This record gives sequence, structure tokens and C-alpha cells, in this order.
Amino acid sequence: MAFDLQIRAADWRAHLVATRDAHPAIVPVIKGNGYGLGRQRLAGEAFRLGADMISVGTYEEAAELLGAFTGDVQVLTPWRPFSPRVADGRLIHTVSRIEDIAPLAAQLPGARIVVEGLTSMARHGMDRHSITEAARSIAEAGLVVEGFAIHLPMAGANLPEARTWCAILETSALATTTVFCSHLTVSELEQLRTERPNLTIRPRVGTALWLGRLDTLEVRSTVLDVHTVQRGERVGYRQGRVPRDGHVLVVAGGTSHGIGLEAPRAVAGVAGRGKAVAKGGLAAAGLALSPFTIAGKQRWFVEPPHMQASMILLPEGVPVPAVGDRLPAAVRYTIAQFDAITEV
Amino acid sequence: MTIRVRPISPEDHLTFIASRGTASFLQTPAWAAVKSEWRGESLGWFDGDEMVGAGLVLYRQVPKLKRYLAYLPEGPVLDWSGDVAPALEAMRDHLRTQGAFGIRMGPPVVTRRWEAATLKAALADEVLTRLGDVPADYRDESAIALAGTLRSLGWKEQSAEGGFTAGQPKYNFQIPLAGRTEEDVLAGMNQQWRRNIRKAAKQGVEVTEGGRDDLVDFHRVYVETAERDHFTPRPLSYFQTMWDAMTAEDPQRLRLYLGRHEGDLVAATTLVQVGTHAWYSYGASTTAKREVRGSNAVQWQMIRDSLAAGAEVYDLRGITDTIDSDDPHVGLLQFKVGTGGEAVEYLGEWDLPINRPLYTAFTAYMKRRG
Repeated sequence: MAFDLQIRAADWRAHLVATRDAHPAIVPVIKGNGYGLGRQRLAGEAFRLGADMISVGTYEEAAELLGAFTGDVQVLTPWRPFSPRVADGRLIHTVSRIEDIAPLAAQLPGARIVVEGLTSMARHGMDRHSITEAARSIAEAGLVVEGFAIHLPMAGANLPEARTWCAILETSALATTTVFCSHLTVSELEQLRTERPNLTIRPRVGTALWLGRLDTLEVRSTVLDVHTVQRGERVGYRQGRVPRDGHVLVVAGGTSHGIGLEAPRAVAGVAGRGKAVAKGGLAAAGLALSPFTIAGKQRWFVEPPHMQASMILLPEGVPVPAVGDRLPAAVRYTIAQFDAITEV
Repeated sequence: MTIRVRPISPEDHLTFIASRGTASFLQTPAWAAVKSEWRGESLGWFDGDEMVGAGLVLYRQVPKLKRYLAYLPEGPVLDWSGDVAPALEAMRDHLRTQGAFGIRMGPPVVTRRWEAATLKAALADEVLTRLGDVPADYRDESAIALAGTLRSLGWKEQSAEGGFTAGQPKYNFQIPLAGRTEEDVLAGMNQQWRRNIRKAAKQGVEVTEGGRDDLVDFHRVYVETAERDHFTPRPLSYFQTMWDAMTAEDPQRLRLYLGRHEGDLVAATTLVQVGTHAWYSYGASTTAKREVRGSNAVQWQMIRDSLAAGAEVYDLRGITDTIDSDDPHVGLLQFKVGTGGEAVEYLGEWDLPINRPLYTAFTAYMKRRG
């Protein structure tokens, strides 16, 4: 009982099933911290959903999940000569450069691969004009092509770009009719399937699958201690002055749980940018809003979170929770780490 | 390495081209005589005493000024795979002394190729509308890198967007002939082409080669074609000048093909050959008797003769980069794709401004003229 996640299992699983049914040929993506839910758990869920294939981020993750999932495991990070050697017939490598084809074949003869195209993401992938040369090298190297992959951006409509890539694949010498793609809506996927009846479109879905219904997930922090403080009193590691009378709560959840850590947010628009500046301003003054909610409001940190606990200021007049009480917390799941995950 | 550029005689120019196997016909000394409204000059690139490059420059005068745009269409002939900076700097220095305010050139360097099967699939796909969208079958990394080098040396690529540019086409269509027989080439053509060639033979279309006197007949059919296809025909004198200049250089440089059916001229074309490269240059056909397929007959005869004359490439010249079925230009590509050849992308035309204000004024003037 510390910094915990509670999953309303029946509703969450109903969402997983609904998402799977809405995305024919879905490939669940399981990477990083397993979206806060844990990779092993998600691998089990992917199996339960009947998925024949999952996508993982790295070779390290692949090595781990080959043991937790009975189907094929695709690695999203393209293979490089310095990639950890993972040899397994169920592994599917991503190839994004022509120069990697021969060394991959030398290391893992007959390896199964998907070829990635360089989309407007401009992250990994092959230029469309190298695809034919790649196809020749792949055939020569004896690698097995399992599909063509496009990683699309999240901004705006992706259908036009996906459409172009499908046409490119169909015009290319690459011997596959399977396209793995990300970040397309259900209706965009349907549209693409209608336009390209020869192709098998396989959506790779992570966030929308595992975190598509946040209301089924409840993060709860435990109140570990409560102290009465007076305005001007010095507290904490940094001995900052308390700005007003009230209570300091010590709650479970610190930097080791991902509390107080923040990935730079994608901010769009003037209002959003203004908010970001305002938040930054408060942070500069040593004040920051905590993710912990008491009496319906997110409360301020007294000082930056500690490794496993945080100190929260509760102003006078707000009902004070007792030691052992549970507080809801809003977290960024992709960086969250829970002490326990329970299903209810 | 110090490279020097100086004018050379047409004989030395031709000898160099012959030693290289081929060059664009726009880079032969004869072409300067064809383009008599501009002053032409043969240039040689020298590394010490050794000639390492050649080019034909056409000086285009600015209205009312003794200043010129120096234009090297589809040239110069250099080793483009090496360090091109010294050669281009030497060329700039020479052309500057000749009153050039800017230079335009078209490095004869192929960046990408698309085979007929790929083009056929792309033409059938509505989503792909530009050749650049279609995955190429071959691409030359070092040729593509040359674009970056030119940019870093101050050259600017002339946009080839949309249809044809004012200069030479960036995209061309070619039938590879090297190592192939007549049967191979015929087998590579689509059914319609093969059927049309057979049909012309069955109908008794006779293809003969003509001489200078036959240019009059060619021109009559050419004017008819221009009216039908809505382009402005060149005068007969243009073709006579071309004939005189090119055949004087080499009797086999320019040839005239005439396709007749029962004595009527139904199609006429010209063929240019420089070393291992042959070009179909002008084509004309009558509206009457289209069904006897005179055009296919003369094309086939030109292809066979090119093969016999040792050509490694039969060039059907420019195409636009469009593969959009709604674009009127696409018919031309479809016709050419039927020959089983390939679309070839060149590096395009590049400009180096020497006198910036004049260059800017001149390009603005050219743009307005369209």
C-alpha cells in the first residue's frame, strides 16, 4: 500500500477487446515501461486478445517478451550492426538502411524482416528510391520480408501520406503485401483497406489500446504522515519557508515513481504556450503543482519531490486526510512506476 | 591540380567526343551552326597538356547589351564523378572574360531510372502523380550527391516543375540497346507496339532513308502534325540548316526516315546518332491512313538501324514528370512506355550567376517571355 495503480479489470479488458475488434489485424505495441502497466502484463493481455504478433521497442525488450508471448515479436527500433544479437525464429527485425541488409544476414541467416520507409517523421526508414535496390539486396542476402512499415507522425491527417506509401509499395519491387502502420484512425484504416484491397494493413497500436480508457485506471497514493505547520516555518530537505498556515502531508510517490518528472509536453496554440510559460514561472519560483488531488483539487508541492515520497501543502480550512488514506494522483503513464498494480 | 579552359578547334572537340564514346548531340560543334542566332564556342578543359573535357557554349545576348548568358546544353562533357570544382571554376573564369553574366549547364549525369514495368504499375495507380513519387529501379548515389556539390559551389538548380522547362528536359525516355538483339527489343515492347509494327509491315508500309531534298516532304507532313497537335512548327530552313551542319560533321549524324504506303508519305522522322547514343528527334505523321501505323514502322526501322550502327541507347527524348492520368502530357509517356524502355532522370539544368543584377534581370525577362 504505497503508490499504486488499480485497474478496473472488466471495463479495461472490455476496452481492449473493443479496440482489437475495431482494428482488424492489430499488432499491440508493448514498449518502454509498458505504458505504466508493465510489459509482462501487457504481453499476457496481448496473448489473451489472440494477437499473433506484438511490437516491442528494443532488442532488450524483445529478448524479455519472447518468453512471455507465444506469437511473433517485432522490434520497432531498426537493426544496426551494434544491436544486441537476439536469435529466435519468432523475431522480426526492422531494416531501415541498405547497408544493414548484408551484415544482418551474415549474423542471422534467413532472418525475418520488415522494411521501413522514411516518412515525414524523418526518423528511421529508407528513401522510396532505395526500395528497389533494397529488395534486390534482401533477395540476395536471403532475408525473409514479412512486411513494409511506415511510422507516421501524430499531427494532423495521416491518410494522404499512408495512401502514397501504399502506392509506392505496390509499385516497388518489394515482395510483400503487408503494411504495418501507426497513428491512423479506424476510419482512415478502413478507407485505406478499401482503396488497397491487395494489401493487408496491420495497425500497430499502443497508447490507444492500453491507455484508451483512462477512467478504468486509478492511481492512488497513500498518506504517510501529516504535520501541522505555520506560515514562515522552515521545512523539508531545502528548509524552505511554508507560505501559509496549514498542513504538510507526506505522501507515497516520488521521483522513483515518475512523480515530478515531466517529458516536454507537445504544446499547441497560443493559450497552451501561455500556460506552459506560467507553469515554468511558478517552477522558477520553486512552486509546482503536484499530481496529488485532495478535496477535488491538485495541491502544491512544498518542495521538489523526494525519491519515494512527496511533501504537499494543504492550506488551512481544507479537510485533512488521515495517515493511511488514499489520494488520487494524475500521472504520465509512459514514465510512471507503481509499487503495486491490482485488478479489481 | 590546375585545370585550364580555353577555346579549341571543332576538330579537337569532335576528336575528344569520339574518344569518350558519346556526348549529347547538343554538345557537338555542329549544333552551334544549327543555333546560328547565338554565338557558339568549343571549349577544352586541360590538365597540363592533356585534354580532360570539352563543351559547346552558346552565348545568348542580353537585349541591347554586350553581355551574355553562356549556355552549355546537356554539357559540358567532363568526368562528373571526380572533383568537379576546379573544372567548373576554370570554366567560370573563361566565360567571365567572354562577357558572360551567368552560366547555364546541364550535367549529362543520370540520377535515377525507372523500368517500363514499374512505370506501367505507377501509371495504373491513381495515387502516384509524379515520377518522383515512384520508387526508382536504379539510382546513382554519387550523381545525387553531385547536386549538393553544385549547390555548395554556388550553382542553382532550375526548377523543372510541371511540364517541360524552357531548357532541356530533366526526364527522358530511353530504350537500352547494349547487349540486346532486335528480338530482345521487340519482346520488351508491349502488345500494342508489337501489333502495330506487324500491322504496318502487313499493310505494306515501306520505310526508306531520304536525303536533303526529301526534307521538303518531311516538312509538309511535319506542318500537318503541328496543326493537329497544336505546336508551332519550325520553318523548312531550320531543318535544312540542321541537315547541312550535322551531315557535314558526320554523314551518319542526322538521318531522315520516310514511311510510305502505296506511294503516299504517311510518316517521317529524323534520327541523330553520336557514338553509342541515338536519338529520335523529330517525328511527323499524316492524319490520313493512320491505321497503317506508319509511325510505328519508322520508329522500328530507326531502332533496328541504331542497333546495327552500334548504339547502346535509343533515346526518345523528353517526358514530363507527370504520371497523373488527368494530365494531357501523360499520353506521351504511355506511348513511350510501350516501347519497353525506361524513364531516366538527369541532374537537370543549373545556373551560376556571375553578375547578379544582370542575371536576376535576365531570368525575370525570360520568365515573362514564358
